[in-house]
Amino acid sequence: MKELALNEPGRIILAMGNDAIVRGGLEAGLGYFSTYPGTPASEIGEGYVSLREEFPHIHAEFSVNEHVAAHGAQGASWAGVRSMVTMKHVGMNVAAEVLHFAAYTGVKAGLVVVIGSDPGATSSTSEQDDRWYSLHTHLPLLEPSSIQEAMDFTKLAFELSEKYNLPVVLNAPSKLCHNIGSLTLGALPEKFSGKGKFEKNPQRYINLFGGSVANHRRAMENATRVAADAPSLGVNKVLPGAGTTGFISSSVNFLYLMEALALLGINDAPVMKIGMSYPLNAGEIAAFAKGLERVIVVEDLEGFIEHQVRSLLYGSGVTARIDGKNIFPAYGELDVDLITERLAAALGKKLPAAMARSIDLAKKLTADIPPRQGAFCIGCPHRATLYSVVKATDRKVIFAGDIGCYTLSCLPPFSAFDWVTCMNCGVGIAQGMMQTLDDGDVLAYVGDSTFFHSGIPGLINAVQQDSRMVLVILDNKWVAMTGHQPSPTTETAVDGAKFNPVDIKGLLKSIGVKYVRTVDPFNVKATTAAIKEALRKKEGVRVIISEAECALQYGRRLRYERPGYEVHYQIEPGICQKCDECYVQLGCPAIRRAEKGGTHYYYIEEAACLNCGACHDLCPNTAISRVEIKKRAKKEAAS
Amino acid sequence: MTRYDILICGIGGQGAISLGTVLKLAAIREGIGVAGAERRGGAQREGVVTSNVRYYAAGEGAAVSGLIPSGGAQMMISMEPLEALRQARYLNEGSVVIVNDFPLTPVHVRIGEYAYPAREEIYSRLKQFTPRVHAFNIDELSIGNFNSLRQVNTISLGIASALGGMPVSAASLLAVIRDQFPDFETNRRAFELGVKIAAS
Repeated sequence: MKELALNEPGRIILAMGNDAIVRGGLEAGLGYFSTYPGTPASEIGEGYVSLREEFPHIHAEFSVNEHVAAHGAQGASWAGVRSMVTMKHVGMNVAAEVLHFAAYTGVKAGLVVVIGSDPGATSSTSEQDDRWYSLHTHLPLLEPSSIQEAMDFTKLAFELSEKYNLPVVLNAPSKLCHNIGSLTLGALPEKFSGKGKFEKNPQRYINLFGGSVANHRRAMENATRVAADAPSLGVNKVLPGAGTTGFISSSVNFLYLMEALALLGINDAPVMKIGMSYPLNAGEIAAFAKGLERVIVVEDLEGFIEHQVRSLLYGSGVTARIDGKNIFPAYGELDVDLITERLAAALGKKLPAAMARSIDLAKKLTADIPPRQGAFCIGCPHRATLYSVVKATDRKVIFAGDIGCYTLSCLPPFSAFDWVTCMNCGVGIAQGMMQTLDDGDVLAYVGDSTFFHSGIPGLINAVQQDSRMVLVILDNKWVAMTGHQPSPTTETAVDGAKFNPVDIKGLLKSIGVKYVRTVDPFNVKATTAAIKEALRKKEGVRVIISEAECALQYGRRLRYERPGYEVHYQIEPGICQKCDECYVQLGCPAIRRAEKGGTHYYYIEEAACLNCGACHDLCPNTAISRVEIKKRAKKEAAS
Repeated sequence: MTRYDILICGIGGQGAISLGTVLKLAAIREGIGVAGAERRGGAQREGVVTSNVRYYAAGEGAAVSGLIPSGGAQMMISMEPLEALRQARYLNEGSVVIVNDFPLTPVHVRIGEYAYPAREEIYSRLKQFTPRVHAFNIDELSIGNFNSLRQVNTISLGIASALGGMPVSAASLLAVIRDQFPDFETNRRAFELGVKIAAS
């Protein structure tokens, strides 16, 4: 977003939470940025990449995984360049090894780790609460509550990082990363550079034996200094009140809490807003809780702040009763409604009448309506691949699922997925499981980006241990699910710019995979036959590369590169037997059902169809026609 | 000004978030504070998408969250009938509801596990929340007038601007459309078509 480059302090722009984090880095003079895309944090990387022209000194990259991204940012920080690494919450598990050393070594220039968390798991396979990591990494942890704070805290994070010689973590939930609202810009630095200089410092950077112990000690001492200074950093705030029940909250839940209190007519409650939830200052917490009868901690997930508050108040003489996860669930996402309802019950208050009416009516009138689940996009190559997988296997094999757009294969109409946990759970779990099963076969899935993220070691292990499996690599050339960041196999950008793609086939050959077939998934019959043939072989690792570019990116490129012909598909009503192969089994949303004269028929919605051709290929009755029209060139027309 | 909350609901790919962005940019133009929260589909297409647009007096921002509470929306713009009902808990007795009367079939209906409720049933249920339910087949209007589905959301915006009593003016909305999208002339006509339909 180009407005992020404006140097107009005080100007108000409309920004996403992720944009605000981008701007915070710019205002802090960032020189190095790395990330592995992951919802809800992906747009931070897109922001820096899209601003390469305006800020050419910033190195911004989509790294191959979070571990590599974190190391890269650490290297830049050691060279004296302010650096940022971003990831989704589960990416922290991959980066954790790097970041557990980051407090030991300290930083040269500020190093900020941004975590996009996902309470409610609306776009993730887990909702793990990454805040707990700070208890053993010793990295200070900031939790902004608004789009404005997302920017302000990012800047503050760089300052704290340098002041205390520790990387600083900024944790923003999806309902902040993806929220869009007003943001008041600050000033950009007058000049800054992305070039650094590495100064050797073996005491800090070589972590061996006693040196490692000394670094461990210094990391803890640094965190203790942060805790001691916390009350003077201006990051935690107290809203005073005369009430005897006080509240402690952080992140977006602070704003939800304020709305809930207003809805319940509670106007006199003291509220402590925690901006830095690790480390906390025992004296600051005790001063707030002193004299209160009850303190209620309002936060998402597993009670990270509550746990620390209880521990810090132990033996302090504070007599307030501490509540938190006994009132609010430790799972799922809190919102204004849930906080209002649970507080009303806990405090013996009534919901406002209008709110209660709407909630009651909704329970009565909306509980029985059809759910709406996500589906593959129109023209998606995964839909065609999955249709072939189901046809070739009749769902009689084990399906080793993995993470990507193709995770939707677990849903109807395909339902061809037996598990999904973390990145590369497909190959990884399958290759171990098959060592223990005497018969049967497993079909594992992996997308191109997931494969390069961490799948290669699992596949090498499978080859070396001679595990039997069919691995389908769904190579759609992009990290599609997170918004089309380039993957190692990306060949051509939407505007036609060329990349240097990794040759998957060559890679597979060099790691010893002997059976490799490449298919075009829109050629459904050939793809089905290839999967059947691979399954018949029953031995060793067999790989099928299902290669076709993401339909959205392909469609976008058509704006730049128009083909010289038009293709149209249509269902011939006289031939169609209404067998449901295309409408239900393929489930393409461009194929629609309509009623006429008391009977139903199917048609292809021309405005929606992307002409992938899968339905044409799979129709058992040749009822779907394909028309290709080459427009006459002007010269011919003149002659 | 008093707060004014708009909930936009639709399906991935229909442009619910872009529509919310136009409403928010209009606020920035007018110096009105704006917050919001977006629910993006877990997948690219077909999933449930909502955008919360919350107008407030500039300066009040420190206490405004992105989320509209149940019963809190002054207006709902729904791009699909069933989706309006799905989000009905945000309506109150005074809410204005604008629905694109063009159903899109969810996968569970396609495979026969559920039936899509009759349209009359959807609207009769919505009217138990608020009497001010306005349904138009905006897809048909867009195709009929512009031979394209691209104008659907601009027509909706025109209707909303004329019906709702939103704090942002039609002039600001049009200025944002001019800044953000190509082919302003067609969009202006689409917006005005919406205004006209709202009056009819």
